[in-house]
This record gives sequence, C-alpha cells and structure tokens, in this order.
Amino acid sequence: MAKRALEGIRVVELGPYVALPLTGRILASMGAEVIKVETNKVLDEMAFIPAWSKGAGQPDYQRHKKRITLDVRTDEGRDLLLQLLKVSDVFMTNFRRSILSRWGVDFPEVRAARPDIVNMWQTGLGGNGPYYTYKSYGILVQHMSGVSMMSGSPGAPPVAVNSSYSDYHTGVFQPMAIIAALMKRGQEGKPTTMESSIFRSGAVTAGPAILDYQLNNRLPERRNNRDASAAPHGVYQCQGEDRYCAIAVDGDEQWASFCQALGNPDWTQDARFATAFNRLGNQDELDRLVGEWTIGFTAEEVMYKLQQAGVPASIVPQGQDLHDSEHLKARDFYRDTNYYVAERGKHASQWEEGSSIAWSMPFSMSKTPVEFGKYTNIGEDNSYVFGELLGLSPEEITRLSKKEVIY
Amino acid sequence: MPLQMPHGDNLIAPYRVLDLTDGKGVFCTKLLADYGADVVRIEPPSGDPGRSKGPFPNDEPGVESSAYYLFYNTNKKSITLNLETDLGQSIFKQLAAKADVVVESLPVGYLKSLRLDYDALREANPGLIMASISPFGQTGPWKDFKSSDLIAMAASGFMQITGEPDEPPVRQGNEQSHFAGAQYAAVAVMGALYYRDMLSGEGQYIDVSQQEALITYYTDAHPALAWRQMGQNVTRVGTNSTLVIPLGAFPCQDGWICAGVITPREWEALAAWIYEVTGNEEILDEKYKGGNQERAPYIDVITALFLEFTTRFTSEELFHEGQKRNLVFLPVTDVADLLQDEQLEASHLWTQLNHQKVGELKYPLGIFNSEDFSPARSAAPSLGQDNAAIYGGELGLTFQEMAGLRTAKVI
Repeated sequence: MAKRALEGIRVVELGPYVALPLTGRILASMGAEVIKVETNKVLDEMAFIPAWSKGAGQPDYQRHKKRITLDVRTDEGRDLLLQLLKVSDVFMTNFRRSILSRWGVDFPEVRAARPDIVNMWQTGLGGNGPYYTYKSYGILVQHMSGVSMMSGSPGAPPVAVNSSYSDYHTGVFQPMAIIAALMKRGQEGKPTTMESSIFRSGAVTAGPAILDYQLNNRLPERRNNRDASAAPHGVYQCQGEDRYCAIAVDGDEQWASFCQALGNPDWTQDARFATAFNRLGNQDELDRLVGEWTIGFTAEEVMYKLQQAGVPASIVPQGQDLHDSEHLKARDFYRDTNYYVAERGKHASQWEEGSSIAWSMPFSMSKTPVEFGKYTNIGEDNSYVFGELLGLSPEEITRLSKKEVIY
Repeated sequence: MPLQMPHGDNLIAPYRVLDLTDGKGVFCTKLLADYGADVVRIEPPSGDPGRSKGPFPNDEPGVESSAYYLFYNTNKKSITLNLETDLGQSIFKQLAAKADVVVESLPVGYLKSLRLDYDALREANPGLIMASISPFGQTGPWKDFKSSDLIAMAASGFMQITGEPDEPPVRQGNEQSHFAGAQYAAVAVMGALYYRDMLSGEGQYIDVSQQEALITYYTDAHPALAWRQMGQNVTRVGTNSTLVIPLGAFPCQDGWICAGVITPREWEALAAWIYEVTGNEEILDEKYKGGNQERAPYIDVITALFLEFTTRFTSEELFHEGQKRNLVFLPVTDVADLLQDEQLEASHLWTQLNHQKVGELKYPLGIFNSEDFSPARSAAPSLGQDNAAIYGGELGLTFQEMAGLRTAKVI
C-alpha cells in the first residue's frame, strides 16, 4: 500500500454535529488515524439524520474513523481520555470550555498529558467576547454572516440554503490549520492551541462586500441570479416539473455563440441586444425571450446545445440527476456504503446494518491515496483503542463496559 | 525527517507558492498567504482580470483599487508574466523549479498546451506540488464544460435547494462558489507539503473538482441519498428548514430573527417559554416532544404557534433572552452589522491593513485565533510590484534583460 500523506498522525475528535466530524473525516481520508469519542448515553442528534432514513446520512461525516464509546463525564472515563491523548497528536473538540473544565479535559490538562499536542477548539460564536458563551448552530449562521441578506431579490426575506452551510466552511478550514500546526511542531518543536468559530468563518464569506461597505458606505445589491455586467444571466425554465437550466453569457463573443446555438432567430439580431450594455438594459425582455426558447427543451438539451457552442450553461440538478450523473460516476464520486439504522433509546450495537451512499473526497492526490475507508458503528473500535492502543485487558474493558464508562 | 524552516510568527512556513488562479482558486492562495506562505500572484502584463472587477471606491475603476482584487489577494506578491510567449514559459519554468507549490485554475489542458503541466514542471523539481482547481475536475465527460459562479452554483445542485419553493432556484449572493473548492485545495496542498517535508521528500499533483466540493457543502440536505432511499428529490423549502423544526429566519417586531431547536431539551425550554408568553397550552402537547423527527408531521401548527410568539419581541430581546434559556436565537445581519459586531471585534476577526492607493481598511483575516501565531498583515500588491525582486534578485536577470522583456511585453 502506498504511504499516506498524514501517516503516523493520531487525532482525537470529541464532539457532535457537522463541522468537527467533517474535519475528522478529511484528516482520516489523508491517512491520519482519527478516533471519534462518543457515548450511547448522549448521542449526537446527527446520528439520527436524515429523518426519512435514520442514520443513512452519517457515513458522509464519519467514514474511516475509529469509533469508541467513552463517558468522559466519569472519573475513569476522563482518565482514559487523557491516556489516549497522551499517545495522540491532535485534540479537537467543539464543547464549551466550561464543560471541558468540569470534565477535567480542558486544554491545560490536555497539554499536561501531552505537552506537544495540537489543540483545535471549535466554537460557535468565538472563544471570547460578549457572546462567547452563547450557543449557535451552523445552519443559522448563514443568516448571521451577512450572506442571506445579499441573496435573492430586493425586499425579499433572507434567502436560505436548506443545509448547515456555514458549518462546512469551518469544517474545511480546520484541517488546513491542523496540518500546518503539525508541521510547525515538527519543524520548530512548537505546539499550537487554536480556536476557530463558525460565525467568523461565515463572516469571511461576505467577501468583497465587506470592503465595499467601508469604501462606499453601501450594502451589496440583491441581484437574484443576475450579474452586474453580463446578460442573459439566470436560470430558465425547461420542460418538466421544477426543471431549470442556468445560463451565463459573458461578453459579445459568448453572445454570438449563444445566438448561433439558438439558430440565430430574428430577435437575437435585435438592436436592443446587440451590446452587453443593451442586453443589461433590456434584461426583462431578454429573459422572457430566452425562457421561451428553453421551455421547448429539457434542461439537459439546453445545457448540451449551449456547452457545445462554448457558452457556460448547466442544469440545476435534482437529487436523481446527481445520483445518476455520468460525469460524477466517471469520477467515482458517490460510492456505496453500509450504515447503521439509528433507533432512539436502543444501544447502537443493536442497530441493524443497512446500505446507503456517501460522497468521496472532492480532491485526489497523485502520490498518496485519498481514502474512502470503512464505516464502523459507534463503539465498534473499542477493543482496538482500549485494548491494543491503551493496553487494557479484556476483563478490564468488560468491567468498564458494565460500569457504563466504556458505553 | 523534519526540516528546519524559517518561521516568524506565522502558522505556515514561507513556502513559495506560484498563483495562477482565477475566482475558482484565488481564495486558496489567499488562505495560504494569510497564514504565512510566500504567494506570488502571476498576472498578465495588462493585469489580472480580477483587477477590473468592481466594486471600486466611488465607482471609479482603477487597476490598483478593485475591492474584489484587494479582498482576495491580501498578503500576496505580484509579478507580471505573459505565459503565451516562449520566453514567458521559460521564465515560468525557472520560477517553478525553485517553488514549493503551483496552484492553478486555468481551463483543463491549457497548461499542457504551453508545456507547463505538472509532468513538465516536475522534471526540474521533483518536490514540486501542484494543485488544479477546475469546475468539474480534470477527468470525466464534463471536464471541458464552461463555468462561472452562477454555473458552479447551479451544477452542484446548491441552487436547487436555495430559495422559495414556488419560485425558481436562487444563487447565494457574493459569489459563494469562490470558497468550497479553494478551501479543499488549501487542505490538500498542506497535506502534500506534510507528506513531502515530514515523510518522503516527494511532490505530487492534486485535482480538485469545484462541483464536488460544493456538493459536500450541503451534505445534510442529502439530495442523492433522498433519491436512492426514497425515490424523492429534495427541493427549495424557503427560509425555514423542513429538517429541523422550528429552524430558520422568522419575522419579529423589528425585522428578522433566526432560531433553531435541535435537541429534545431545547424543545422543552422553547415550549415552556412560548406557553409563558402566549398562554396557549397547545404548544405543551406530548406529541411535539422529542427530536425533530417527532415534530416533522406538525410543522405547520408549530410554525404558526412560533410566529405568534416571535412577532411579540424585537430581535435583540429574543437573542439575549433566548440564549439565557439555553436556546439558539441569533440576529439576521447585513454587512454593516458585521463590521460593527462586538463579538466579531472581540474575537479578533478583523485586521487593519494599509493599502498605498486605497488606504486603511478592515479585512477578515482572523479565521483562527491563537496565542501561538497570527495572520500576516500586508494588503494586496500593486501590479508587478515584485518584478525587480523576483526577476532581478531571485532569477538574476540584469536590468537590461528585464528592460528587454518589458519591451517584448513578456513582463
């Protein structure tokens, strides 16, 4: 087997939801050994997603990790966690420090157990400041980071994505910083403790509008799908229910290709559309005419006709389109996975196995594998971690399981 | 075999990164630069097209004053180079021979047509790492498809779940397609640097698909999974979630408030508070208790009861009182609010940078906080400002040779 990029790195992940587990999965895919600490007593609400197939959504976040059950709120549980941290390189958690401190695993205690460990503390609103104790959820931060109020049309309600959008920014920022900190440790012998925040991650994505406000004292225009300088630019309805094709014609060259792809109907030669300036000024009429053309075809037909002419266009894929996409299949993006059918109130070891799909990493590396790995159940790696790694005897593991410490 | 690298106060060592990106990758190199890498933006002699993109101060375009360019190029250097000339290509090869990383987001196959693809560059530098960020990846039937911000947001399916159910799909504002692929590329580059300098000495090539990266950024909507398990397509649900109930942005007395109730304990606290305020016992009904799955069938009733409650308060009242009750209520903000937000200020998001043309502005560089490092603090470069240092100082070109290159419009 090829050597892996993060070979030899051990990461301990303590905490629920989206961003932190995503960070763990990315590090694991590049070859780190990521040990996820959970307990059947208080399961992550995400263990039960999605509502219509409980647990089937978990492999996207948890694949390729070693999953152990440990109640860190008990004395013996805390001691075992500290023992594990002693042989680990990275500790990452999204619990509040008051809670970590109550459990006896706050960063100073962790640093005492392993002096050169890299600590990543993921927060919601930030690790200090007037609201640092406040709770937040990533799915809401899109509204708190200025993004939803610059989307959609003027006067419309904030525009939301039906997902925990801002969580993903944090989840993908963190592995970069963790790897950099591991290099800093290796190169300079300096350990790093850092804090990240979903609020700050989201606020960064407000982008150049942050500078525009300071320079010109104005808020970004809400343009819906339109562009400041290109037209036609939007989504156009096609044949079928809820089917759209996005089209973005930038510049006169693309406009000429666009007209040609349509067979140069008379209206495309109209002076009102001859220049980008004119097309922008007559956009309502232009959109109506483009829409009259697209509605005669399927979204795929529109996309292929335009792409063949070199015009940027794409279907707005539904789940079925993504699932069946020839392109994504050629890239082996979605893959089959097992999962465990989550049942509230039932110990995870009793959950039945089912089949699902999960995405593979959106990047590949030529020398080192980016691994899809295995999907294991909550607690499935207890004997490896507590037995092999920490040297507990089978009797001791049984005792601690009965005592609901390893549980 | 750990290397000894000069370090300073940055998180990332000053690795030399050659930056050939547009909007798909410019945030990747910004991340690397903000945290310490020595990123050199390579621009055509007429300037990166990003320099002509607004907004501009007072709406007066200028090659040094695009807010778009300023935002995405903090802490980078700039040199000019025409890659479409033989001499330009040979100079690029010399730069790549000494670089640690090349990041590019040019059309698939373009660098190969110039004989500047990874295989060509690594001959002189086996430790070189190169990352390509493209709309659909380097392989597969869509690899040559043309893209843009709108097309990327469409093709990933993001737009299918953004907006109101009875209206067309909407893209999120401010070019959100700049982030996902660029972020994964930064992770992969760091992973490759780790592998090279801590484990093997070898460089490698990285292929990032912007489409796939964006698909992972809305994983919890489960579009492909819903089709596979249920034969159903997820679609737009408007401002409020159908996954978690209640969750989303709701009207209040002075605008909007967002709120989310995820755990059973949060539901208990919310129901008790609503009952306190409205006296309506319906909200305490047993059937609503538990997780979101339990509440899903009653979304309409619950939303109505919730709105009757939120519209009695201001955003500030709900935010602070909600948090006191251990409930997640958060304000809905715009960019002006962000710049004045006490929490962002106190948690060190902003760094003041001085740009010689545009002056002092606040930039959001503090993604991470640490006592062990801080972000770099240079504003975006002026066009070609590092030509002399890099062509003269590093490649050893004479003043005359550089003048010749300038005349030939190579630099």
